[in-house]
Amino acid sequence: MSVVRINVGPIHPSTHGVLRLVVDVDGDTVKLVEPHIGFLHRGVEKLCETRMYMQSPSYMEKLDYIAPLAWDELYVAAVEQAMGTPVKDGAQYARVILLEFQRIASHLLWIGTLANDLGQLITAFMWAFRDRAKVIKLLEDVSGSRMFYVNMRLGGLYQPLPDDFKERSYGLIDYLDRTMPEYLDVLDKNEVFIDRTKNVGALSRDDAINYGVSGPVLRASGVREDVRRSQPYYIYDKLKFDIPVMRNGDCFDRYRVRYEEILQSTKIIRQALAMMPDNADVVGAPIKLIGPAAKPDPVVMRREIPRGEGLIYMIPDKQRPYRISLRSPTFINLAVLPKLCEGVKFADIFAIMGSLDLVLAEIDR
Amino acid sequence: MKEKGFDYLNKITAVDYVTYIEVVYMLYNTSTKHLEILKVKLDPNDAAIESVMDIYKAADWYEREMSEMFGIKIKGRDAKRLLLEEWNGVEFPLRKSFLWGKPYKKAD
Repeated sequence: MSVVRINVGPIHPSTHGVLRLVVDVDGDTVKLVEPHIGFLHRGVEKLCETRMYMQSPSYMEKLDYIAPLAWDELYVAAVEQAMGTPVKDGAQYARVILLEFQRIASHLLWIGTLANDLGQLITAFMWAFRDRAKVIKLLEDVSGSRMFYVNMRLGGLYQPLPDDFKERSYGLIDYLDRTMPEYLDVLDKNEVFIDRTKNVGALSRDDAINYGVSGPVLRASGVREDVRRSQPYYIYDKLKFDIPVMRNGDCFDRYRVRYEEILQSTKIIRQALAMMPDNADVVGAPIKLIGPAAKPDPVVMRREIPRGEGLIYMIPDKQRPYRISLRSPTFINLAVLPKLCEGVKFADIFAIMGSLDLVLAEIDR
Repeated sequence: MKEKGFDYLNKITAVDYVTYIEVVYMLYNTSTKHLEILKVKLDPNDAAIESVMDIYKAADWYEREMSEMFGIKIKGRDAKRLLLEEWNGVEFPLRKSFLWGKPYKKAD
């Protein structure tokens, strides 16, 4: 049979943002997939060169609007290193707790949209959004904003934590520990879900390293690699948690890794809450456009953000970055899509694409 | 580098220092958890560098992005379409000579 070239999109599927694919199919078998990106390219790296340091966090949040706090923190941490600002002790605990809540919210949304893509498994979708809304509500009460928190300041957070923060956090993680096993009933025991994810889009361990994927996609292929462990920041070296790893590297394993990470995150939050002093001082410096001049040494800042390894390489100038380069984890996770889609059925492209947890705004930057 | 155990290419990027262009390779060792940074200086008027894609597949999109944003020619790679599209391939936005706010010419 002859090969037919099909244009898919630009679409806005469980990937968040606009992606276009050009697919060569022979019958129903995919021969070649070529992702076309760039629809959301805003030139954030160039934009940051023209702005003062503390004007940029809100741009960083728009990179990944599913987990904005992660990019916010990554950028502010890079600036803190450039300026030599220490982070307050209480703020370290608060940041870890908020980042892990952000990871839970991001993974929950991903589980929901993946289930929605794979044959309208609406139950899991609704449950995931129900639970995510509770996490978002807590983050909203901490920062004052529902979606783009802009909650990080040099040395700490924007405002003190609410008085009932600890009780509410304990209540929320107790709730999550209780409800998370319910997802196993609607997903792991669901024949449709298993059929569409097991042995679909498998990535071997060597390929995963060679293609440079990171985060849950890398760990699903059997590489125990997590920046929180390999280069601990804040209080992560004091906490006990596992790094979930699977072996097959298929879509189902990527789902399992993210699911287990939610449970590990609740574990981390519980420990951090117990260790955090009461009435901790978490408030950082207010935003000043002209601050102390930054040191000129290049900054390499690595963080485990929900989608993988985020990295900022910054050449600081005195009041604004001379050059800032962002390693967005999904950029390179999408580059592996043509490899994953070799020889699969056409409908599996969307399962694979969904399992990579793409956010196109972060890819195009 | 790969023989020494640096099996994971973390990032390729570039910095324009006006008098020269610096290409930065970040290589990571997944067993010793060590990050190594290599820098290569290039002449801005005739910037060209060998592709490392036969060693690290991860280099594919990074090299394309770099050649699009900095005008660095990648030797040993087929001329492929631009990654972020619609740039005319004559002006390079992340060079310091590209001024902010300048209206940009679309590709013909």
